[in-house]
Amino acid sequence: MLSLQHISKYYQVSGLKNFVLNDLSLEIDQGEFVSIMGPSGSGKSSLLNIIGMLDEPSEGYHYFAGHAVHQLKEKQRSALYKQYIGFVFQAYHLIDELTVYENIETPLIYQDFKGAERKAMVADILDRFNIVGKKDLFPAQLSGGQQQLVGIARALIAKPKLLLADEPTGNLNSKQGEEIMELFRKLNKEDGVTIIQVTHSEKNAEYGSRIINLLDGKIESSKQL
Amino acid sequence: MIKNYIKIAWRNLKRNKAYAFISVAGLALGITCGILIFTLITYHLSFDNFHKNSDRVYRLYTEWHDDGIGRSHGVPQPLGKTFRNDFTLAEKTARVISFHDNLITITQGNQVKKFKEDNGVAFTEPEYFDILNFPLLKGDKKTVLVKPGEAIVTEKIARKYFGDDNPIGKVIRVDNKVNFTVTGVLKDLPANTDRKQQVYVSYGNMDEYTGSKKREDNWGGVFSGSEVFTLLKPSTTMESANSAMALIVKKHYTGRDLQVWKFKLQPLSDIHFNSDLDGYADKKYLWALFFIGLFLIITACVNFVNLATAQALNRAKEIGVRKVLGSLPHQLFWQFIAETALITFVAVILAIGLSFIALPAINNLFESQMTFKLFQLSVFIMLISVLVVFLSGSYPGLVLARFQPILALKSKLSQKHVGGFSLRRILVVTQFSISQVLIIGAIIIVSQLHYSQTTDLGFNKDAVVLLPIPQQDKAKLSTLRNRINEVQGVEKSSYCYKAPAAQSNNSTDVNFNHRGEDEHWGINTKQGDENFLSTFGMKLVAGRNFFPADTTHEFLVNETFVKKLNLKPQDVIGKMLAIDGKTIKAPIVGVVKDFYNYSFHTEISAICIMPDYRSYSTLAVKINMRNAKTSLAAFEKIWNETFPEELYSYQFLDDSVGKFYEMDNIQLKLVEAFAGIAILIGCLGLYGLVSFMAVRKTKEIGVRKVLGADTMHILWLFGKEFTYLLLIAFVVAAPLAWWAMHNYLQDFKYRITIGPGIFLTSILSTFIIASITVGYRSVMAATANPVKSLRSE
Ligand SMILES: Nc1ncnc2c1ncn2[C@@H]1O[C@H](COP(=O)(O)OP(=O)(O)O)[C@@H](O)[C@H]1O
Ligand SMILES: [Mg+2]
Repeated sequence: MLSLQHISKYYQVSGLKNFVLNDLSLEIDQGEFVSIMGPSGSGKSSLLNIIGMLDEPSEGYHYFAGHAVHQLKEKQRSALYKQYIGFVFQAYHLIDELTVYENIETPLIYQDFKGAERKAMVADILDRFNIVGKKDLFPAQLSGGQQQLVGIARALIAKPKLLLADEPTGNLNSKQGEEIMELFRKLNKEDGVTIIQVTHSEKNAEYGSRIINLLDGKIESSKQL
Repeated sequence: MIKNYIKIAWRNLKRNKAYAFISVAGLALGITCGILIFTLITYHLSFDNFHKNSDRVYRLYTEWHDDGIGRSHGVPQPLGKTFRNDFTLAEKTARVISFHDNLITITQGNQVKKFKEDNGVAFTEPEYFDILNFPLLKGDKKTVLVKPGEAIVTEKIARKYFGDDNPIGKVIRVDNKVNFTVTGVLKDLPANTDRKQQVYVSYGNMDEYTGSKKREDNWGGVFSGSEVFTLLKPSTTMESANSAMALIVKKHYTGRDLQVWKFKLQPLSDIHFNSDLDGYADKKYLWALFFIGLFLIITACVNFVNLATAQALNRAKEIGVRKVLGSLPHQLFWQFIAETALITFVAVILAIGLSFIALPAINNLFESQMTFKLFQLSVFIMLISVLVVFLSGSYPGLVLARFQPILALKSKLSQKHVGGFSLRRILVVTQFSISQVLIIGAIIIVSQLHYSQTTDLGFNKDAVVLLPIPQQDKAKLSTLRNRINEVQGVEKSSYCYKAPAAQSNNSTDVNFNHRGEDEHWGINTKQGDENFLSTFGMKLVAGRNFFPADTTHEFLVNETFVKKLNLKPQDVIGKMLAIDGKTIKAPIVGVVKDFYNYSFHTEISAICIMPDYRSYSTLAVKINMRNAKTSLAAFEKIWNETFPEELYSYQFLDDSVGKFYEMDNIQLKLVEAFAGIAILIGCLGLYGLVSFMAVRKTKEIGVRKVLGADTMHILWLFGKEFTYLLLIAFVVAAPLAWWAMHNYLQDFKYRITIGPGIFLTSILSTFIIASITVGYRSVMAATANPVKSLRSE
């Protein structure tokens, strides 16, 4: 599904290249569930952002679903992104001024779905996540776990093939975390969604089919489960 | 403590340079306008306020109550003498008769110097200098101008005429008619007086100058240069003086004139402002200026409040810490006031500098000589500074002081706590309403002036050169015309009193078709020869042109004349017209199409046109503009050979017509400048607001981009907001502007209608300007990398 070859990412700090990712290569197949681990500052988020096309690598080749992403124009990349990828954050990043319903609906607006279609899709996912009763609440009125649930619902609403999650359970207690992990497993197994998650927890990492350990911007080890 | 406040304030400003710059720039602009407008208003209020007993000084003026009320600041020549001799109400009364554009000739040895005096020469009774405070530097105040043949001039004129020589005893010749010996030198006139004459000569020479004794006893006519000033006794009231005037009318008029003629007193302090007479500065416009100044300062303050409260959110943490450390609310309040004071101080310094730079330009515009009055101005600046500091500092100060420390520390403060976004919205709407009013004003003035300059005036004003005719000598006139007509490029020429539209208009009484009673309205007389119509491209609607003649044997009239008689053009042909107390009688032979005989400010008069060589003071020459240069050179040569003792000058007719709108052009420039500044300040505020919005929405923008929003979607987040605000501002501004400009247009008898196009232009231009301002900052926000804004907090 995607392939990174000799990817580097660095920031220029007073003339010196400060490598965040250093000549990193990685292949991920359709249907995989990958957990990325590593100490803080090892480049996990940076890697995820590059995979999700939110950020560009300084060097290297990036292929995604048969496209050479490093050669694409901004517009094409954006189209590819909209079609394939959903993002989940540690800090949820819900829009405070919008209700649960509106938050979930937003990606559909940007993908030009018609009103009636949007309504059906949002209703469907609210139902699936068991948050119909919360649809008119604002993010501030929800617990952390509920907010993350909304965040995931929002990421999945447009039926992405690839779900990227940056420490999705970082702000949650272990029980809430487990529920989210169960949900991910189900998505992966039943719906065939490819998932790449960053996590600090060994236990959560083991929900995946592969664990990759990062250190100083390089893959230190990769383990198939 | 204060020192500490100032120190912290200084560091805060250094840290937020953009914020400091926008605040200072906005305030400086606002205060500069404040200073200039203050100077302008006090300058006008100071006119002729330096005379002793100025509250007892009055000018007499004339009112005619006929079909409507007519007024002139001139009075019949005998009025002053009668008031002085028949009544004991005044301490002193003086007549002064002034002429314009006089030629002064000075002969020294065999050297002849000629000067044209725009402000002219005044035939003045000596009491004038007891009433008004224009002190003599040289000469004996008791005797100057008492005997005929004397002149006094100002220092400036003395230097111009005689250099460093002693002017006393020198001879000046006025209009090649009368000689005067200089017996006194006046201190130069101050800038703030409407008495502009710099050459005063003995009143006793009036008859010699005009060549007849008629004027001295003529109650029937008014020359606008014939004025009377009087210093009333302390016991005399204006009412008793006015009733004395009524007695004068009773004694010297008969029949219908008893109802028509009225003389009244005008206080000295009213002269500069009364536009019904010859007042220069209508108080209405001074008030408008005052409000514009006030608005600009308010706009600048609004800007400041806007930015400061937006800024407050960024400082929540600092405030929280201070509170936890034990700072009391009022201490925080004063800290903020200190910051505002610092910004205001810098702005005031800048504003003073800007004002000094701008003053010469404004003086140039108004042809005035305003200077800064140090004491007045410093008081004003002090007041305005305090006002600005409290107006703009106290609100943000209060907001900051009220922050709850725990929330502030956790960065949990939101819009609610800093007065909300809606307050800022209201402020931006206020600013934009003000700039829209000014923009609409400017557009309307421009359109009206354009209309005045492009509408068919009923005569052709292009490519017509006006040459002055100083002597009405038949032989000279005919040679001059023949020679001028031979010049290459000359198409037509006509002798006339003045062009069809002119600032000088003569009005007299009308008797039509031997009717028993004169008409209740006056007629405007225009003397011109048989080429008058063709030279100015005027059209006949009935009858024919008059035959060539030197004196009046036939009349032409205009359509308005016919309309006032309620007749058709054909009906008046062949009927007798008598004017000037029936001294001139002749049949009407033609009717000309109406033409604007003055500016669009005044109504078209009833007009008669007739030949009379004694009144010709202009030779109008229609030329081909391609040869203009050589033609003009030839005119000068021929003219100087014809009138060797006179001073040559010429004017293009379209320039002289343009002069009617001098004041309108000044108003336009002012409104344009103020509109520009208001927009600039408004844009600074808008920029501040957008920056604030961008900061506040960083996270939201990041999230939306991750969810697939493209740049256009994000820009619309900002665009929606400002479109909305501008529309509200427009709804507020449009009726206000309509009302103000509707009143402005009332001063024009012929005017544009205020159509929707004007409002559309205004909102569109504001919109474009606002989009540019908002655009840059929002594009910056919209294209920012979402990864940066979403990095986990
Ligand atoms: N915009 C930036 N400029 C400079 N350094 C950055 C920037 N963004 C991230 N970094 C650095 O890159 C490194 C990796 O960051 P990140 O990928 O967020 O690590 P992780 O998610 O593994 O904790 C960190 O040391 C961080 O300081
Ligand atoms: Mg990270």
